[in-house]
Amino acid sequence: MGKLFKTNFTTPVIVLIPACIGINYLGKLFAAVLKLPLWLDCIGTCIGAILGGPIIGGICGAANNLIYGFTTGDNITLVYALTSFFIGIAVGVMARLGYMKTLPKAMLTACAGGFAAVLVSTPLNIIFWGGTTGNVWGDAVFAATQAAKMPVFLGSLLDEIVVDVPDKIITLAIVYFIIKGLPKKLTALYDASSDIQSLD
Amino acid sequence: MSLIEVKDLKYRYPGTTELALDGVSFTVEKGEFIGIAGENGAGKSSLSQALLGLIPQFYKGAYGGSVTVCGMDARNTPVSELCRHVGLVFQNPFNQLSGAKDTVYDEVGYGLQNLGFPPEEIRTRVESVLRCFGIWEYRDRNPFDLSGGQLQRVAICSVLAMNPDVLILDEPTSQLDPEGSEEVFHTVDELTKMGITIIMIEQKIEKLAGYCDRVLLMHQGQVVDYDTPRKIFSREDLYDLGVNPPAYTRFARANALVFEDGTLPVTHAETLELVKASGADRAALIASLRGMTAGVQMDKQGDGAADAAPHSGTGSNADMSEAGRQPAGAGEEAVAAEVSTSTGGRSASEGAGAAATFQVQDLRFSYVKGREVLHGLNLALDHRPTAIIGQNGAGKTTLVRVLKGLLKPDSGEIRYQGENLETKTVAELASRVGYVFQNPDDQIFKYKVLEEVMFGPLNIGMSPQEAEASAHEALRMVGLDEKADENPYDLELSDRKMVAIASVLAMNTDVIILDEPTIAQSWNGREKIREIIQTQAAQGKLVIAILHDMDFVANSFARVIAMAHGEILADGAPAEVFRNHPVLEKAALAAPPLYELLEELEAM
Amino acid sequence: MKSISLYTNNGSWLTKLHPFSKIFYLVAAIAVPLISGHLPVFLGVILLSILLLKSAGLVHKAFPLLAFSFTIILTVVIIQGIFNQKNMTVLFSLGPIHFYKEGLLYAAHIGLNILNMLLSFAILVLTTSPSELVEELEKKGFSPKFGYIINSVFQIIPQMTGTMNTISDAQRSRGMETEGSLLTRAKAFLPLISPVVMSALTSTRERAIALEVRGFGGSAKKTYLYSHPYSKADQVLKALSILAVVVTIVLRVVHVL
Repeated sequence: MGKLFKTNFTTPVIVLIPACIGINYLGKLFAAVLKLPLWLDCIGTCIGAILGGPIIGGICGAANNLIYGFTTGDNITLVYALTSFFIGIAVGVMARLGYMKTLPKAMLTACAGGFAAVLVSTPLNIIFWGGTTGNVWGDAVFAATQAAKMPVFLGSLLDEIVVDVPDKIITLAIVYFIIKGLPKKLTALYDASSDIQSLD
Repeated sequence: MSLIEVKDLKYRYPGTTELALDGVSFTVEKGEFIGIAGENGAGKSSLSQALLGLIPQFYKGAYGGSVTVCGMDARNTPVSELCRHVGLVFQNPFNQLSGAKDTVYDEVGYGLQNLGFPPEEIRTRVESVLRCFGIWEYRDRNPFDLSGGQLQRVAICSVLAMNPDVLILDEPTSQLDPEGSEEVFHTVDELTKMGITIIMIEQKIEKLAGYCDRVLLMHQGQVVDYDTPRKIFSREDLYDLGVNPPAYTRFARANALVFEDGTLPVTHAETLELVKASGADRAALIASLRGMTAGVQMDKQGDGAADAAPHSGTGSNADMSEAGRQPAGAGEEAVAAEVSTSTGGRSASEGAGAAATFQVQDLRFSYVKGREVLHGLNLALDHRPTAIIGQNGAGKTTLVRVLKGLLKPDSGEIRYQGENLETKTVAELASRVGYVFQNPDDQIFKYKVLEEVMFGPLNIGMSPQEAEASAHEALRMVGLDEKADENPYDLELSDRKMVAIASVLAMNTDVIILDEPTIAQSWNGREKIREIIQTQAAQGKLVIAILHDMDFVANSFARVIAMAHGEILADGAPAEVFRNHPVLEKAALAAPPLYELLEELEAM
Repeated sequence: MKSISLYTNNGSWLTKLHPFSKIFYLVAAIAVPLISGHLPVFLGVILLSILLLKSAGLVHKAFPLLAFSFTIILTVVIIQGIFNQKNMTVLFSLGPIHFYKEGLLYAAHIGLNILNMLLSFAILVLTTSPSELVEELEKKGFSPKFGYIINSVFQIIPQMTGTMNTISDAQRSRGMETEGSLLTRAKAFLPLISPVVMSALTSTRERAIALEVRGFGGSAKKTYLYSHPYSKADQVLKALSILAVVVTIVLRVVHVL
């Protein structure tokens, strides 16, 4: 357990966090420029989680939302820091357990990340937005469940699943293709378990 | 005891099998100016980082031997302690900012804050160092708004504010324009007067020769030699070690100008002194210098282009270029007549119809309305390899981006082989005009060199077999074919730049634009690029390059265009442009080292 | 460099306040109406925030920040007004669609709460320099390493967005299309984002070295160049904010509210 969450707050790891937040930002921007029907705004968080471990992933996610609040003046984003935090944790744990080694395994990580997002976001959606997410497709699902007199929680959960899980699957697929070729010289900087060998 | 003692230092980066440093031993005394020379991958940067303890504390990996700096063991003393005694400034001006401070003043004080100095002391030190290096006036500016040269000076200041005993400069000017480099070297001049111990890694070998007390010559992680610049640069095996001797030394060797101790001169002053003392035949020396500074022979280039260019085409793009050229013929003749004035009669008369490529008329461009960057350029390019020189902000990159179609001009006309390019998209033009960006990391995204190089060819419709053959061919040209299966990110920056060049060469375009191809290349890399430019030109392709390396320009191009403030100041053969002093002054450029010597000899 | 922070120093009294007193106001402004649970209290606090922004000449900057929430609030009103499961009383009808009082009241709570949160937050973000906030937090014991992360993001993002166009140009120069069918556009994503990620990671190495050689990883206690003492206005704002929360809780407990 301790090993799973082991984190070194060395300088490279600290510097990794703002870089990951920047990657999140550009992922979102490129998705918008290319008019893709996805958010793709947590690529950096996942990379942070994989390279630095679950705690770093969590920090990347949480700090991401906290800081965006300051750039958009939107403090509801701040609340969703909790969601991003758990996405980072979930992906980090899965990666340490070896679930980033092959593409199918990465897809399981994506599901873990997606469901972490869903479980944390749903109560927040209900508290702040009455159950909607602001995404057209998701909200159509929500409206349908409410019309069918299903409980708010279930409706909101479905709303969030429709929105989050596909997004996380594509995100992790992209992350997988990026991560698999990173040079060792780079990843060793963030590796919590590496040490210095002697040549004497 | 010496200030720095390195004993049998060995180091291997994590995940690699070869030693980056292999049994390095040397000492440095207080107040010395030490240069480190060697080709890329020789271990220069690794060595400099070992002096600060970054190797191994930061990089991990495998380590052996010992490094003692100011009496401290660099393996075990924390970097935060060592940095009080050793300062490091490296290539990229942007990445060595803390990235957390809004003003130059705060940036320079940041290290002292971290070390816990009292605020009053920080204020005094920051003010004195900023005033000393002439950046006090920028103190309230955001560091990211400064030019590269200014930033490097800020970086030097922020390290000097910490009052180190040793300053390490790791190619501090390699990513700067000539003016920025001069700013930084001017700062280095000041430093030498302060008597601080300096270790400098630098590709501008003439500078190294001028400053250093001793030069450490490295090759494949080992120390080859450690001696005075004259001894080091007089070695006959320098080229084998991937180091180009200073231009003066090359000149002296060619003309048998030798000191009594058998060494060759390495600086301007030494050469001049030797010329006077030796009483050599001045006319012969001048002739030799003229030969060395004449640049690429125009005749040879012209013939080559005429032979290969017109209608033979090359390989797979023959059909396309044929089609592209058909409608061109008529228009070209008309334009050629107008053009001939600017480029000198010969090239215009000698098959101008076939040679014409880009025709630019009254080109105007602005990024922000009302602030014009290009002020009505007129330009006619043929097939001669053409270098565009000028300071940052002169409009060089803007011009080539307009030619490439990445930017749309406000007004004016661009024709390529008589065809108006206005309506073409960038992707459509991709198969005809290739553009290698300055930073290879802005384009590399595959994890195999070969796949990266095949990306462009596949995009422009080559079949996978064609693309692969073309990619191998391009990789052979840049000398990386044996690394086709490697991960580009495991390669050095210099090799990644070559991958980027190959990825455009493989597209077999009629025009190749290179943005700063020689940055980060050591001597053999530059030779490789020179070769590529020549073979491409011989195949009738137009090579346009933006360059800050004047020595390279003088030796590799037949035509030089000097730009400043969005205008073309001069356009001609290197020998003309580099001897046009009013233009050089207006463009704030300096001629390659030998030109000055040539003019002094002529005046003697 | 184009800053991504919303802060501009317009010299108004709000910018001169200590960051912490604005945070006290923020917390009170969000907590008071939520604790009270009454729509008029929401409206009152919203009005107060608008007046504060107006006194600092920032209303025109605050409203664009709210714009994004309008469509979402509208969705909430429609979905809740029509489908809320407690809906009983028809308030009005548009053709065959009935809007109910219960759902609309619920939607009003949600909408006003969101507007209130955004406006009170706007006061903080429009008038506070992030780096000053971080520095003050660090002085109160917030880790300088985390402080670095926050400051660095504000510098790094404009720098990274700057490379976005270059990367896009570089790939288009190699014949990659960025327009067309969904598949074409989707295929362009990896060639665009990969260089961003790789350069970001590679530059972390250099940036980390730059920090290391300036004592970042050390254990010395960091010192600060600037100080921002509490002014009279700061004291008043802080006291009033705390008082407001306490009074609301008391009134709520004794069932006056």
